[in-house]
Amino acid sequence: MLLVRWKPVLHCPPQGHRRRGFAWPRGPRRSLLLRRPIRSPAPAFLSISSSKFSQAGRARVRPVVRAGLAQTPSLADVENTEILFSETLSLKRSQTVEGKITVRLDPAVAEEEVSKWRLTIGCNLEGKWTLHWGVSYCDDLGRQAFEWDQPPPEMRPPESVLIKDYAIETPLKRLSSQSERQALHELQIEFDSNTPIAAIHFVLKEEETGAWFQHKGRDFRISFTDYFEVANSVGGNQGFSIWPGGFDQISSLLLKAEESTSQKEDPDDEDGNVVKQNRCIAPIYKEFPILKEEFVPNHMTVSVRSSDKTDKNIVQFDTDLPGDVVIHWGVCKDDGRKWVIPSTPHPPATKIFRHKALQTLLQPKPDGLGSWGLFLVDQGTSGVVFVLKLNEYTWLNNNGTDFFIPIGSVSSTTAEIGSDDIVHEQQAGTEIHDVRNSLPPNNSYPLQNKSLEASDPKNINSLPMKPQGTEELIEAVAYTDEIIKEIRHLVTDISLEKGKRAKSKEAQENILQEIEKLAAEAYSIFRISIPGFVESASDTELLKPAVKLSSGTGSGYEILCQGFNWESHKSGRWYSELRDKAKELSSLGFTVIWLPPPTESVSPEGYMPKDLYNLNSRYGSLEELKDLVNSFHEAGIKGRGNKSSGDNFHAAPNIDHSQDFVRRDLKEWLCWLRKEVGYDGWRLDFVRGFWGGYVKDYMEATEPYFAVGEYWDSLSYTYGDMDHNQDAHRQRIVDWINATNGTAGAFDVTTKGILHSALEKCEYWRLSDQNGKPPGVVGWWASRAVTFIENHDTGSTQGHWRFPSGKEMQGYAYILTHPGTPAVFYDHIFSHYQQEISRLISVRNENKIHCRSTVKITKAERDVYAAEIDGKLAVKIGPGHYEPPDGPTKWVVAAEGRDYKVWETS
Amino acid sequence: MEAGLMVKQAAVAKPDAFPARSLGFGSSVRGGSGISRIGFEAPASVAWRKRSIRVARDGAIRSEVVVEEKASPPRKDKAGPGRLYVGLPLDVVSDGNVVNHGKAIAAGLRALALLGVDGVELPISWGVAMDSGDWSSYLAVAAMARDAGLHLRVSLHLHCHRRPRLPLPKSVDSAAAADPDILFTDRAGRRRADCLSFAVDDLPVLDGRTPMEAYEEFFRSFRLAFADFFGSVITDVTIGLGPNGELRYPSFPPTGSNRFTGVGEFQCYNKYMLADLKRHAEETGSPLWGLSGPHDAPGYNQSPDFGNFFKDHDGSWETPYGQFFLSWYSGKLLSHGDRLLSVASEVFGDLPVALSAKVPLLHCWHDTRSRPSQLTAGFYNTDGRDGYGAVAKIFAKHSCTMIIPGMDLTDGEQPQGVRSCPQSLLSQIKGACKRHGVKLAGENSSLVRVSTAGFTKIKENVLAENSTLDSFTYHRMGAEFFSPDHWPLFTEFIRSMAQPEMEKDDIPSNLERLSLSINSVPGNDRELQSA
Repeated sequence: MLLVRWKPVLHCPPQGHRRRGFAWPRGPRRSLLLRRPIRSPAPAFLSISSSKFSQAGRARVRPVVRAGLAQTPSLADVENTEILFSETLSLKRSQTVEGKITVRLDPAVAEEEVSKWRLTIGCNLEGKWTLHWGVSYCDDLGRQAFEWDQPPPEMRPPESVLIKDYAIETPLKRLSSQSERQALHELQIEFDSNTPIAAIHFVLKEEETGAWFQHKGRDFRISFTDYFEVANSVGGNQGFSIWPGGFDQISSLLLKAEESTSQKEDPDDEDGNVVKQNRCIAPIYKEFPILKEEFVPNHMTVSVRSSDKTDKNIVQFDTDLPGDVVIHWGVCKDDGRKWVIPSTPHPPATKIFRHKALQTLLQPKPDGLGSWGLFLVDQGTSGVVFVLKLNEYTWLNNNGTDFFIPIGSVSSTTAEIGSDDIVHEQQAGTEIHDVRNSLPPNNSYPLQNKSLEASDPKNINSLPMKPQGTEELIEAVAYTDEIIKEIRHLVTDISLEKGKRAKSKEAQENILQEIEKLAAEAYSIFRISIPGFVESASDTELLKPAVKLSSGTGSGYEILCQGFNWESHKSGRWYSELRDKAKELSSLGFTVIWLPPPTESVSPEGYMPKDLYNLNSRYGSLEELKDLVNSFHEAGIKGRGNKSSGDNFHAAPNIDHSQDFVRRDLKEWLCWLRKEVGYDGWRLDFVRGFWGGYVKDYMEATEPYFAVGEYWDSLSYTYGDMDHNQDAHRQRIVDWINATNGTAGAFDVTTKGILHSALEKCEYWRLSDQNGKPPGVVGWWASRAVTFIENHDTGSTQGHWRFPSGKEMQGYAYILTHPGTPAVFYDHIFSHYQQEISRLISVRNENKIHCRSTVKITKAERDVYAAEIDGKLAVKIGPGHYEPPDGPTKWVVAAEGRDYKVWETS
Repeated sequence: MEAGLMVKQAAVAKPDAFPARSLGFGSSVRGGSGISRIGFEAPASVAWRKRSIRVARDGAIRSEVVVEEKASPPRKDKAGPGRLYVGLPLDVVSDGNVVNHGKAIAAGLRALALLGVDGVELPISWGVAMDSGDWSSYLAVAAMARDAGLHLRVSLHLHCHRRPRLPLPKSVDSAAAADPDILFTDRAGRRRADCLSFAVDDLPVLDGRTPMEAYEEFFRSFRLAFADFFGSVITDVTIGLGPNGELRYPSFPPTGSNRFTGVGEFQCYNKYMLADLKRHAEETGSPLWGLSGPHDAPGYNQSPDFGNFFKDHDGSWETPYGQFFLSWYSGKLLSHGDRLLSVASEVFGDLPVALSAKVPLLHCWHDTRSRPSQLTAGFYNTDGRDGYGAVAKIFAKHSCTMIIPGMDLTDGEQPQGVRSCPQSLLSQIKGACKRHGVKLAGENSSLVRVSTAGFTKIKENVLAENSTLDSFTYHRMGAEFFSPDHWPLFTEFIRSMAQPEMEKDDIPSNLERLSLSINSVPGNDRELQSA
């Protein structure tokens, strides 16, 4: 929730008043003072802002003493200042804390009572943790049902709350004694192993942030009946396992639980018939690292003063944010909110940011608690707009919009002594609360606390006033009108843009996305002149590429190098680093390089479109980029821009604006990129504006040599186990390609997902679909499938969906021998895998394997997968044994490594 | 809860969304039951819709409705945006009676519904529907619109269309083959296959039936097939009164583009028209005037100065002969429109739907004294003579809404040399409608013409202070409509129409709007209301 305290501060009292504030116009004195601003002999006031939550029963007053002028020596020369306006913004900064969730299962008591077990779930992070959990019961055959159910009453710890009819929530208790390894919060559930429960499911909820913690997007699950393991187990007794189950639709704000297991198994534990029921319980201890995002409240006080000495207003920023704080700011003229660069002189430590804004580093405060700065602003300006930049990736804004500090309208009419401290506070509602503190004796017109209806100026006008001349009254009314306008401005801003709108903004965004997707779909179908084409497209035969080689898919012999990872921006000179590697990459056999997004991915709002034409980014300058692309061209590699539009446009505050931009100018921009930088193609995120139907337009306009899109969604799992059949998943990708009319390829996310399961769980049978074809997109539309095992999102230090560790070479043995266009991840190229990867690439090139090569799967069993490609290559991956049959073709080993082997014909 | 719900409905219901059917002629006849007038309220939500239907079928509880009406707070009488419709492709159902691009239309409908468009216009072709006698494809489209939560304005087209090809019924074709004179014919003797000549309206030229009877049969067949949709889904029925679905003669050239800017030709040269002209001339005592049409009128694409008829000064149009001919020619058009609307009123009068028909905006040469392109199309609207008052009178008589296309046209961007001024013609027609109490609806001329300026003009027309536009229909859905060049402009347009100038204190209603367009399930609305 945004909390803005609005505080028009008129003037400081002549001497010694520690409170200063605002008084409603109320008498002749006002005009007197207007003409004679009191000079403050010394910079000696503190601003005190208090906040009051007006919601029922939750009032809390939190006086925050701000560092004031006393600590800002440079203010001393500003002898004559009037505080015209002051506002304290409450800022929410997020901080990530690492911690872990522990799961322990052990017998509750001594050995004699074997049937009593205890499940302990702990968490070592601060917070108000609640376990949201349920059980599933065994059915008649001892198999487990997979629906959530409430646990039997004897299992429910006290303080549990029933949630609907399927779950229960129990708070974790804070432990008093805590050692290093131990959990800070813990919950114990005791149960009898004779209870017919098949599994316990849970997710953790942190009440204060409302975040849910799951395991890899699914609920945690402790199963006692291991039905599937009977079929698949590698012989060992895997009586107990924990794996993510199928709890759907808990919106997980954050979940980054990576399993780092230290599973203890007790092979001696026997319980029931293993084959039929396989119900067994064994002690277990597991830890799951979690990342919790915490919000840290900070404040920023902005006050505006006028100065007699100069014709400028002084804007003071004062914050308790730790570390470097850069104010990214501009000013507004007139009523608009258009960013304009303030006139010189600029404050010290100011950079001009792309001719559109200033970036001023605030100076640390002497006490080390935060920083401050003074900016001079022309009096003609109507306001200051700003956002805060804490570092390259952390920007603070006003719930999606810029902060705005009005200047002009206040400055013309203000000057008044008053010690009333009025705090206007807005909580996404329509009421403004006017809170007046007790007044020093010389303030003659104390007002009662009064709630003002912001939309009704009369309320303000009807505030008690001393009888006075008509003239003043009119003046006063005019003045209050001014104030009301200001209030309305703020109120409407807040309630409109932040309050109500913020709530519906997400919904609106979703609707707009949906609308666009539908429109693009309609567009792509209408474009096809033969009606009914798409309806029959489910037939895979139809999806085969047209005879003519469409643009955007290269020669068919392409091998991609993803030329960046998540860390690439850190050096600031990635382009030049990469350029040095151009020759090497070329000699390794790569033909296309995928470069990072050419523009800054986070841009403060307000001037997105032009920013796109600025290609100086944290990867290097435009010149370096051009140089890089040139080097690659010279080395014979095509450069492909990672046109990560999503990042760029998400930051744009105005949906229409970005949408408009996307459409109207994107083609132009892409063409410009192609011409200016020399890119040969694109990588397109699947985001708004890039639904397949529209991509075709962009492709036609820019005629890229190679284009690839990323359509990312999740594979289908049943009960935590990946389904063998991933046709629906690849169909969605194929639909996307189809909507582009085949003008762009798509990352074969399906293949990656299936490789994960196959390699991780030793389930190599997954690599053949029901028709004996590769199960990914590559099995259906190989020429448009860009196969990969890792990219900057999934791998690298991000590790969102990392390829099974240590098995990367098996993955490469698969994609580099199979049809499709393989993409190799930068981190892998420059790792100890380089030689092996290089070998596989040269085998692929020597044997002229291309994106449309044919695959004949010769073996797909539990521990080994083997295939022949174009009759020229044979490959096997997996620990199991495989040798290509000796027949008319003689096979010789071409490449070999751990758990993979590639043969070529001699 | 109930009261809350009602407030909600009232807030969502658009002002004057539905023309009261008690206007003008015929109300006493139809009003006999007193029921038809109850169902006039706009079906703003499903719940409301159901209620009005229920009431409409049960006159006994009519009073209840009145109470509800009164319970709702006074509507805001600011110039509302009216209802917004989008035209479906002309060939949404085409020759062979299949739904074309069904999947695209389904997606498109959903996109429109989410965007907050009120409904779509469904063009129904006489030929396509009556040849097979099978309404299933059209019904399928109507059901798609219903399922998407959209209303329908159905246009009944009695003419044929070249591209996409929408033919006249085969029986009509064969009758025309046997007797080509039932078609309009120009001076050169070319048969105009667009539609049947107005002169044969009441002659038994179609296997012993008159065209009017055939039209009525078509209307009734439509009514029967769509019985379930009236009042809930179908809010308007538009009668195509002539070529292009407009009240006019096919005065444009037989081939060529729609961007016709010439003066056009009179279409009075088939046997039946000439016979009628002859009879009329004899009746007025000038038999010689009835032998043919004007001999000195220019050709389709010629300028008005070619030949003597349309000359600005001393043109034949101003002579007694010219007045005689033009009166007769335009009179035939008016009487055709009148009779056809009578038939339509007869068929649809008791239904809770609004009747409408389209009048062309013949803006080329409007800035001349003779206004030839209007004369050849049948509108006797010259300098000093208002041709649209008579038209409006007929529309008023049948409580028929007048649809005027070309709301996107500005005087400024018209081609040079054709002395076009759409805006002044538009205001003339609007004025005529206002005088006669005829409701107005708007359309754009064509999607191709729409630019940002076009949208601005539409907005201006629709949102104008004195605008009486009941609805606006945007033409038409199709590839270009959804193209990245056009669609964003359109979404922007719709969104700006939905919230012309978002008043700061209008937020709640906007929220309601939003939620309503997400899902119009009454249960959810209710929940939102009480929340």
